[in-house]
Parts: sequence; C-alpha cells; structure tokens
Amino acid sequence: MSIGLTHYLLLAAMLFAIGMFGVLSKRNIIAVLMGIELMLNAVNINLVAFNRFMPVHDLTGQLMALFAIVVGVAEVAIGIALAFRIYRDRNTINVDELNRMKG
Amino acid sequence: MSELASLVVFCLLAVVILGTALGVVLSNNLVHSALLMTACFIGVGIMYITLEADFLGAVEFMTYSGGVAVLIVMGVMLTHKGEGVPSNPFNGRKIWAAALSGTFIAVMGLVSTFVTSSSQGGFVSEDTVGDLADMMLNSYILPFEIAAVLLLAALLGAIILAKGDEES
Repeated sequence: MSIGLTHYLLLAAMLFAIGMFGVLSKRNIIAVLMGIELMLNAVNINLVAFNRFMPVHDLTGQLMALFAIVVGVAEVAIGIALAFRIYRDRNTINVDELNRMKG
Repeated sequence: MSELASLVVFCLLAVVILGTALGVVLSNNLVHSALLMTACFIGVGIMYITLEADFLGAVEFMTYSGGVAVLIVMGVMLTHKGEGVPSNPFNGRKIWAAALSGTFIAVMGLVSTFVTSSSQGGFVSEDTVGDLADMMLNSYILPFEIAAVLLLAALLGAIILAKGDEES
C-alpha cells in the first residue's frame, strides 16, 4: 500500500477536527488561538498535498500555502495583542465572561 | 523498499502530529499546550519536507515553531492568573464540540472515498526556492505586495493594541 493523496487529506481532516474541538471547547482565549493555528496548519497540509499529487505544472499550491502562513502569522500576532489588551482592561481572558454585548 | 520506508515515515509523522495536537487540546496546563503545539508544528514541517516542499518546511520551522510558539508563550506568561488556578479549563460545551468534530471527521472520511488520485502525479520541483521566487515576483506580484501591506498593518495594529493610547 503506497501513501497517496487520500491519506494526507484524512490526516488534515483529523487535525482540523482536533483544532475545531479546541476552539469550541476551551475557556482560555489563548487556547482558542492555539486551536485556530492547528486548523490553519491542516489547511496548509491540504494545499501542499494537492500540489504534490494532483496533475499541475507549477508550484501554485505551495505558494498559496506560503500566503496562508503569512496571513496566519499576522492573525496570531493581532490575536495575542488583543488577548493582552483584554486581560489588562477586564482582568480576565475567559471567553465565557466576555459577554458585555450580550442582548 | 522505498515504498515501505515512506509508509513508515508517514505513519510515524501522523502519530506525532495527531498525538501532540490531541495533547494541545486536552492538556489542563497552558504551558504544556504551548510546548506540545511546537512539537506538532515541527511534525508538520517534516511532513512538508516529505512532500517535496523543502522551502515550505523551513518556513514552517522558522515562523510557526519559532515565531508563533514564542508569541504564544509570551501571551501565556503575560496573562498568567497565578498558581493553583487551572490555566486551560474546558467550558460547558465539551460534549457538543466533540460530537461536532466527530461528525466532521466522519463526513470527511466519507467524502475522501470519492477522491481519485491521478496516476501521473503532481509537480516535483528541483529548485523550490527559485521556482517560488520566480512565481512570487512575476505572476503573483500583486498578492505579494498585498501581503507586505498586511504584515505592516498587523505590526502597527499589534503594537497599538498592546501599548494602548494613554500617551495622547
């Protein structure tokens, strides 16, 4: 049995599901950010695997993964700065307590 | 022989990536989560290298297991609540989240039975850095510039958010 596209897609789906579980079930805002990072990495594995196994003639998939990494890193920098700001203003980073806009 | 070797390498990497990712979401200590996340990113980077994307593997090591891990550990340190408090608890929606993730895996497993891998295979570059640079500075020059603006905006935004405006 040789390793093909399906194996990588299944691995990326599992990694995405684990990240989604972390995002939905954690209380700490930094743990939620970690879950988002896991999901981003799952998507990047998909892009690189498609570039490796689908009939393409250039490295577009890897370039898309590179841009996705850039956006993900910018997002985590803003997310950490926001978490730090929220902690200073409200003295909590529990997402369940950040409900001031609740109707 | 090389097919067997690639199978063994893939299985080892899959176990490392999924095991450390599960550790990230199941651990009750946020520092352990951050360290396991670094290990997970190293596994993903090695997987990129096995997929003939060596430059992307190096980028993954530098940005994710280098930069993002340091940022996350800094965030953990700056928002620490003191000893004795569980730093990474679950909320009340654990069951629903697990059910949703399980459903997602089941649906994706079902979908992946329809995937037909083409026999001719994909594109394998001899010089990924050169090819990526060529594409990035020729046909993808506009997204490249937009990414530069995005990084500048994220840098300024992060500084302003973290520092505050008490000066003005």
